[in-house]
Amino acid sequence: MRRAFLFLLLVIAACTPSDERTELRIQRFFGACDADYGGRTDIAAAEGECGIMTSIINAFEAENPDIRVNRNVVFWPGYDQLTAQLAANDAPDLVTMHGSVISDYQARDLLLPLGDAMAEQGINTADFTDAARRAVEIDGQLWGLPIDTWAPLWHINMNLFREAGLVEEGEPILPTNKEELFAQAEQFRQRTGKPYFVQATANEYASFTRNFYTFIYQQGSSPYTEDGRANFTTPEAAEALSLFREIYERDMTTKNQDYSASVSGFLNGQGGVYLVGTWMVGTFEQASKETGHALESGYTVYPYPQLYGRNVTYADGHNWVMPADPSRTPEEREAALRFLEFFAEQNVHWSRTGHLPVFQETIDSADWLALPHRENLAPLAANAQPLPKSIRRQFPIETIVGQESAAAVTGAKPVDQTLADMERRINTILDNL
Amino acid sequence: MRAMRLHPAALTLVIIGAVIMMIPLLWVLGLSFKSNAELLADTSRVFSPPYTLENYLNIFGNGEVFRWIINSLIVSLGMTTGVLVISSLAGYAFARLDFPFRNLIFIIVLLGLAVPEQAVIIARHQMFSAVEMHNTYFALIIPGMATPFGVFLMTQYFKAIPKDIDEAALLDGASRFTVFWKVLLPLTIPAQATLGIFVFLTAWNDYWWPLISGTNKEMFTLTVGIASTQQNFAQTEGLGFLMSQAVFAALPILIVYLIFQKYIIQAVAGAAGR
Repeated sequence: MRRAFLFLLLVIAACTPSDERTELRIQRFFGACDADYGGRTDIAAAEGECGIMTSIINAFEAENPDIRVNRNVVFWPGYDQLTAQLAANDAPDLVTMHGSVISDYQARDLLLPLGDAMAEQGINTADFTDAARRAVEIDGQLWGLPIDTWAPLWHINMNLFREAGLVEEGEPILPTNKEELFAQAEQFRQRTGKPYFVQATANEYASFTRNFYTFIYQQGSSPYTEDGRANFTTPEAAEALSLFREIYERDMTTKNQDYSASVSGFLNGQGGVYLVGTWMVGTFEQASKETGHALESGYTVYPYPQLYGRNVTYADGHNWVMPADPSRTPEEREAALRFLEFFAEQNVHWSRTGHLPVFQETIDSADWLALPHRENLAPLAANAQPLPKSIRRQFPIETIVGQESAAAVTGAKPVDQTLADMERRINTILDNL
Repeated sequence: MRAMRLHPAALTLVIIGAVIMMIPLLWVLGLSFKSNAELLADTSRVFSPPYTLENYLNIFGNGEVFRWIINSLIVSLGMTTGVLVISSLAGYAFARLDFPFRNLIFIIVLLGLAVPEQAVIIARHQMFSAVEMHNTYFALIIPGMATPFGVFLMTQYFKAIPKDIDEAALLDGASRFTVFWKVLLPLTIPAQATLGIFVFLTAWNDYWWPLISGTNKEMFTLTVGIASTQQNFAQTEGLGFLMSQAVFAALPILIVYLIFQKYIIQAVAGAAGR
């Protein structure tokens, strides 16, 4: 009996075809959506970050029969897992990574430079937008393939703007300085009875940080010194915080809403301008097509208006990077580069997520400009401003800046004390790297 | 046995308490049957139809989910078995056997209760990296088998059993192991049921260690696996899906509790009566 069983196992093993394809391990966030997109390869028909990403990977595998893609989807953002994998010498071949995080890994020699290899593979790295290049460039080397650039935007309820008399020739009237902003917000409240802004101000720190950085940069200053230290005890930083404190104190914004409540609030017409990133463009555009919706035929979106001397907006982006792994074979490396080339060719499809393309050619293309509101967003390719790469630990720093900013904006803490505390806490982190 | 009758006021308080505790669970259950798009605009729509099974179908649409369930079962059952064996043997030894440095060793074991997992996680990860054991069931199970609480619980339970029972069995010619295996161990079943459920629940719900040890999707446990399927801002754009995942992940635990609730109640009642 035992012999028969062993014989059966041997027969099964002999009949099982061996997989001689090169395995490419891709690790990414953006969630899983296999129920809808598990077997789909039609990239043009896919929707949303997860759907488009899944379809691109499926299509790549279908077009490259010599490569087997091992997909590892991780909980956003996945850096705990990646760090653990690197510590265990078990890193994947390609990983999604925010531009703000790349220097954390690059500084510890955990990533491989990809500039020359991508160029050899036929990826036109010279065509990267300024924002995309700044996301992956350190010391003159490119450490990844930019996937997109994202930035906070002014999502606008045009129906309420019309009611407030803030529309001219079909376009929203946006402020060009602080005084205009307050005047328009006052007019908006008088005519609509609603606050000008919808904001996530409860249990949400990232938006505070993005606003803070944006308006420091717009004043021609920088939140960090050239030698990589926090520089928040400046008049420009005080002005940036005071701006949002005044907005809050003068009831020009919704209050006590977390992220979900603020999204819901904007969708339900609770305010005129929602400060949130590129990823919501598709959701709001879809809502504007629904009959009876608060945004029906009344949604548009713009980059942050220039209220001070410089026209810039804080930005970040998603990228593909290749972790260092001495055991990676030339075939696996080649498979990874072929995937990057394939992904780069799908840039216009990925940009349907709402995020900004990374190739100038795509931004200038009729295909991209034909997408809703993209003409308004095109200037971001030049105006997007990530933090300098010399600043590491940007994720935990974002939380500190957001926590402190929230305290100042809501009036729980004086602005000067907030800035001093923020600077001290962040420099403690930076000094210990 | 005569059933105890609760005073009406006490009964009312118990019911109110139960309802308060049930509301969040019912809220989660209700949201899990609503479409994500509806909940994006307004979560109060949970009170009105239409309801959908779409979120649950999306869970099953991921081909890996059954593998993750099996992984969680293997890890949870393996850890539970290991803890019960080790804790029972150690508890018997500390309660019944006389050996050098017994009290000192017992104190050292108890000190383990004061060391949080966070304090040892890096060293533990490095140990398993050194022997290239990550992404194995062994790595997922073994660390959880060191349970000072289990040893303490079983020691106390064995101590509470009268020594006359052992002595009678020894007089009848039973060996030490027979006394342990056939006489004392059956008496500790309520404690073992409690400990077993506690360990099973802890292992089933564990997230951190499986997250950094089982990093390949083939080795994800259910908690890590279902978290990986969430998109960023899932609490906003995929709320219904998120809630269906919570319900789905909790179901096996509910079943375990329903099967073993008799033992849990016995153990709690026994401890209270002593």
